[in-house]
Amino acid sequence: MSDLEIWLTIVAMTCATAITRSSFWVIGGHITIPTRVQGMLRYAPVCALAAIIGPDLLLDPQGTVEFSLHNYKLLAGVAAIAYYLFRRSMLETIMFGMVCFTALRLIFS
Amino acid sequence: MLRPLLPWQAHHMSTTVSEPDVAAHHEPSWRAGLKDGMPPLFGIAAWGMVVGVAMVKSGLSVMQALGMTLVVFAGSAQLAALPLIAAAAPIWVIFVTSVVVNLRFVIFAALMAPHFAKLPLLQRFLFGFGTGDLTTALYLQRFPSEAPEVGKLSYLRGLLYPNWFAWQAGSIAGIFLGSAVPAEWGLGFAGTLAIVCLAVPMVATRPALVGALVAAVTAVLAHALPYKLGLLAGVVVGMVTAMVVEGQIERRKAANV
Repeated sequence: MSDLEIWLTIVAMTCATAITRSSFWVIGGHITIPTRVQGMLRYAPVCALAAIIGPDLLLDPQGTVEFSLHNYKLLAGVAAIAYYLFRRSMLETIMFGMVCFTALRLIFS
Repeated sequence: MLRPLLPWQAHHMSTTVSEPDVAAHHEPSWRAGLKDGMPPLFGIAAWGMVVGVAMVKSGLSVMQALGMTLVVFAGSAQLAALPLIAAAAPIWVIFVTSVVVNLRFVIFAALMAPHFAKLPLLQRFLFGFGTGDLTTALYLQRFPSEAPEVGKLSYLRGLLYPNWFAWQAGSIAGIFLGSAVPAEWGLGFAGTLAIVCLAVPMVATRPALVGALVAAVTAVLAHALPYKLGLLAGVVVGMVTAMVVEGQIERRKAANV
């Protein structure tokens, strides 16, 4: 991406924050969101996060699925998920995951 | 402190008898907001730092990363956008992805907005823009009712301002730290780990868990789609799956009653 395109992207993302956070404040007053729509609003973000994590952990730089012990991101990611479920601390989990990833990378490469 | 009455306030005073002024400065509420918002500040700064590092490690220049963090102010959307920017996805795909990741804020905004419906337009826009997950949670704990109460805005300010500064300070530190560290360290992976930590608590219910797994698998299978549309394909398929699972669980419950 060129410098200009990145700045345009930043403007577009600022609009995304404004639309989602400020719209109802600007409208003001009480608004009831239908239950079905609430479900969609609740599920969409977690699906998006999962759709980022999946390819990040599973695909190698060439874009092929790598399901092996040489996929350090996958191993470190699974270890981090387990650690988070156990400790529930974001900071510790990030550090733990980075240590696992770095250790695997240094030992096996 | 006495302030001149705005037209709508004057109108309001004449119809209802002295409704509490939500917007007037209220020292105890301001202090309570500062105090309640204090414990998570360290975590927010650290989270900002991770996003800062991830931004420069995925190829943004220091200026671009600073610009992004100062105006976008949405960590999860920023993290989500980074791989798309690195892969030179079209801007509209990045925009739609940011909106989708931010959709949870629509629910929060619907809960928060009625409390402040009478503030001037620009203030409503800015306070809405600055109110994220944590601020909403802490605010609604203290003021669950929409009824006007003295000190509501002061409390919100007390939560919001330190939160904004902690996030920005952390991000800026991360941006400079990240640009000083060699790429081989793989610090960009910290961004993925941060997304993992955001996502895990969100899959606490069965529909959400099934939807997220389906979304992840779909995104992997569809990664070769043009314009990096695999991610959005994952979102659509995952969301529909979650809704179907939720519907089935509800139908089963209804059948058992």
